[in-house]
Amino acid sequence: MPDSRDASLIATLRPWWRLLDRRRGRLLAGAGLLLLTVAAGIGLLALSGWFITATALTGLALAAGLSVGLDVYVPGGGIRFFAVTRTVSRYVERLYNHDTVLRLLADLRGRLFGVMAGLDGHTLSRRRASDWLDRLTADIDTLDGLYLRLLAPAAVALLAILALSGLLALWLPRAGLAALALLLSAWLWLTLGQARCGMAASRGQIEALEALRGRLFEHLRGLAELETYGSLAAHRARLDAIERRLQVDQWRLARVAALGTALAGLAVGATWLVVLVLAALAWQAGALAGPVMVLMPLAVMALNEALAALPMAFTRLGATRAAAERLNALEAARGTSVAAVLKEASEAPPRGPLGVTLDAVGLHYPGALQPALSGLCLSLPAGRRLALCGASGAGKSSVAQLLTRQLAPSAGRITFGGVALEAIGEATLRERVACLTQRVELFDDSLAANLRLGDPEADAARLWRALAMVELADWAAALPDGLETRVGEGGRRISGGQARRLGLARLLLREPELVILDEPFAGLDAATAARLADRLDEWLAGRSVVYLVHQLGEAVDPPGIDHILTLCNGTLCAEGQDVSGWDR
Amino acid sequence: MKADTDAEAPGLTARAWLSRLAEGERRYQRLALLAGGAVGIATIVQMALLAALISALLIDERALQDLTPWLLGLAATLFLRALAQWGQEVAGQAASLRIRRRARAELLDHLERLGPVRLTGHHGAGLAQRLVDQVEALDGYFSRYLPQQVLAVAIPLMILVVVAWLDWLAAFFLLISAPLIPLFMALVGMGAERLNQEQFSAVARLAGHFIDRVRGITTLQLFGRTAQATREVEAVADDYRRRSMRTLRLAFLSSAVLEFFSSVAIAVVAIYVGFALLGYIDYGPADELTLLTGLLVLLLAPEFFQPLRSLAQHYHDRAAALGAAAGLVTLLQEPPDAGRGAEPVTKAEPGRPMAPDSLLELDGVTLSHVGRGRVLGPLDLRLSCGETLVVTGPSGAGKSSLLQLMAGFLAPTEGERHLAADARFAWLDQRPLLIQGSLADNLRLAAPEASDSQMREALARAGLAALLERLPDGLETSLGERGEGLSGGQVQRLALARVFLSPAPLVLLDEPTASLDARTEARVIEALGRLAAEGRTLVIATHHPALLALADRRLALEAALVRETVDA
Repeated sequence: MPDSRDASLIATLRPWWRLLDRRRGRLLAGAGLLLLTVAAGIGLLALSGWFITATALTGLALAAGLSVGLDVYVPGGGIRFFAVTRTVSRYVERLYNHDTVLRLLADLRGRLFGVMAGLDGHTLSRRRASDWLDRLTADIDTLDGLYLRLLAPAAVALLAILALSGLLALWLPRAGLAALALLLSAWLWLTLGQARCGMAASRGQIEALEALRGRLFEHLRGLAELETYGSLAAHRARLDAIERRLQVDQWRLARVAALGTALAGLAVGATWLVVLVLAALAWQAGALAGPVMVLMPLAVMALNEALAALPMAFTRLGATRAAAERLNALEAARGTSVAAVLKEASEAPPRGPLGVTLDAVGLHYPGALQPALSGLCLSLPAGRRLALCGASGAGKSSVAQLLTRQLAPSAGRITFGGVALEAIGEATLRERVACLTQRVELFDDSLAANLRLGDPEADAARLWRALAMVELADWAAALPDGLETRVGEGGRRISGGQARRLGLARLLLREPELVILDEPFAGLDAATAARLADRLDEWLAGRSVVYLVHQLGEAVDPPGIDHILTLCNGTLCAEGQDVSGWDR
Repeated sequence: MKADTDAEAPGLTARAWLSRLAEGERRYQRLALLAGGAVGIATIVQMALLAALISALLIDERALQDLTPWLLGLAATLFLRALAQWGQEVAGQAASLRIRRRARAELLDHLERLGPVRLTGHHGAGLAQRLVDQVEALDGYFSRYLPQQVLAVAIPLMILVVVAWLDWLAAFFLLISAPLIPLFMALVGMGAERLNQEQFSAVARLAGHFIDRVRGITTLQLFGRTAQATREVEAVADDYRRRSMRTLRLAFLSSAVLEFFSSVAIAVVAIYVGFALLGYIDYGPADELTLLTGLLVLLLAPEFFQPLRSLAQHYHDRAAALGAAAGLVTLLQEPPDAGRGAEPVTKAEPGRPMAPDSLLELDGVTLSHVGRGRVLGPLDLRLSCGETLVVTGPSGAGKSSLLQLMAGFLAPTEGERHLAADARFAWLDQRPLLIQGSLADNLRLAAPEASDSQMREALARAGLAALLERLPDGLETSLGERGEGLSGGQVQRLALARVFLSPAPLVLLDEPTASLDARTEARVIEALGRLAAEGRTLVIATHHPALLALADRRLALEAALVRETVDA
């Protein structure tokens, strides 16, 4: 096998292998139980064969008038023992290994979540689409089979082959050796050989499925245009071509897997046939008892169970590999993102409201045709309020992401209170800078839990006060479950306006020194917005504020604006407008 | 086995759909069954040969050399059995591949018939995902479960007959080990069913929690709560583990029962045969047993249970397929609008003759939605060649519906729509379609035969000449997934370039300048002006005042009330 491919397969799976290794004890115990089940199955069939042959020969001898005896109780007990052991160990094994797999799933999810928590804003926003998330969970599920579908059965089969060959060698070394040679080559083929034959097709299958999803999405989303231009059939032909490619790969996989299944049966069959012939020859030479001669091929026959599942699992190894590769790529993305680079940052700006400066800041997303921001200079004195206006796409959200360090600028410098943003410690930054994002994200949890994101220690009275500030207290009090009411997935059980106000309440529980508010009153009626503005004004006193707004003067403006700047196409496009005295 | 995930609605159920799909691909399924049956027969023959060989060696004391033909026969049987096994799997897969392709085509045909308007109620990416993955989830059911369902009855019966012929008492032991095969299967089924349901729902809940937290990860970052959330993700997964283990303990019992019977049957048969051979049993056929028959009965005992165990293993394929089919059948049950058949809707509809210069006529059309009542009309409208009609009105007045009606995406509830015989039209969406591929691929959607110079010309007219010059590979520049790297205005103008390329005389535009800033809007309007100057007929639905300047004629819609004003 070419080394480079092998090495890369091993390298791809290594991080996940290491994750499994943390539960080594459990994995070994689970594999041990699997082995015990296989061994009991072998013992049951082999001993039964021995027993029947021994009794038949004894019966014949008795009929011939010879006085021979056979202890029927020990083998009879042995048969019952193997029968019970096989049943019990199978049950315990399934239970135990399922427990292990679920533990591994918890590990995998935890690890992956940790990885994603370190990704930057751009990487995350490209991956927020629900189809991507579904794929992510599918990848995790694929990887959790690494132990139970691939590693454990392969290891157990190998051990069973070694043990069985050793056992046969005790009676007849030649038979042991022949079984070892035949079964070991079969094992190699069923694992490595199958994996190699199926690798290209199983990876190709994953890619084709992905391409098909993408094209189908286009097809369904663009149905109006495709239909009117009469290009439906042409686009459908593209879909068909991908599906044909997919099915070519799947057909190849099916043939390879079927070949493996047939070969597994054939290899075990050929082995017991060879062992039978060797044992019969030894019996004829008087070197072996008749019952043992029967025991040997039957023991090999029972091995079928240990090999049968291997080809199917290993033919599809490419899918596991692809899943691991995608998840590895996610980790690699973290390596280049801001959070990872800034791990060592630990400085803290002086206490009190933060002054902010942006000096010739530029931001260029990889692959974008034009920069999102270029040469942006502005400064916000401590404790003042700046309104940054602009149409959607002008770069307001990019500024918010830069200020909250979800993105790193591609050019220029940002300082908070005179300290470079990239030097500020992560915990300090999160404590002192708060941001109300344009889209409020709520979790599928209770009202209280969502609010406590702002302050985990807040008591109920404080939560109620925060709700009162955004005029949700009466509404919440009328709910049968009060603060324990669940808001549903993404806050779906409450209205959009309520979700926004809840997001604001969550922010009011914090004590930040710089506050970034993206369209704080969007989706609220004018009267409510006006009342909220007054309370917000009070809370914002003594903090620096950046408002991001589409346009001022349309509805209720955010309170206490000192200065207004307008963004167009990623740069300041008009003279700043002083509303009140602006210290420069 | 009990009825489960069947779709709620009357008519097509998940099971019915699955069997209809299976119906259409009988040939390969029969082949799989035949091969599976051959495996069963080969197994019996192989075991018989083995028992006979051993008996000939040990009891008749014949030399191994004399038995060479038997050995060759055994080898041949082994080979044939492997071949049949291969055939069963491959034929099953061939059937499944064809069925899946047909299922996907059927679904896609149906969605195309539903049309763009009806599809807006669905999440596009989710729908595509379902068409791919839920159809794939049908695989195991057709390729493995269906043939095995028959084999799990046929093969044990075959073995039972052979064993009964050898020794009816041993056959009786097998039979009481598996009291009645259907009952046994129900037991397996219930256990596996429960296991599946528990596991599906536990995994779904777990995935739901995980996705919920990932979706909100930016918020967690901003609040500095990621470490805590990571611990929570692990804790929730662990909690699910503990809860699902409690139910798994019960669910696994059913397979343990199967395992128990299979093991006990071997043990009972071995001990019975052994004692009979020793002459300890005087009852029934016991004293007629020989090593040959005794050994064969023993060897067949595990094979009696093997097909049932395979069926239990494939049981989750069935559950997965039923779950997927239930979801897909709800799509198939959505009836398309009358008048939206398999035929392309751009064809002229027979009816009364139209005025010579008119492109499209609406005669007393109304449009009603279930639950919302009448949303449009009654409305009479005649569009003549070369005019520009601007449709205005508050949101909800039916502007988009009118355009969709003109395009034939919706059929009128009352009244008639007439289209000139050769009329083709172009559609400009609020969110235009961008396909993955080059700029040229995207343009050719409108005119597959367009030459490079025609495409350049169209881009220039749409105001994208400057962009084209900046692109590294010109027309062959790849636009990337979902048009990343193009601004909203550029995407809109690219769609306009498509309109310029297409020969369609009638152009329908739904809010062509929504979500554009003033400067970009002005450029798009400029391009629209050029389009009108080419002599095309434009129908523009909008509430932007700037677009009104283009109008030859205006149509102001008010909620379910129409007033037409004619501009000079």
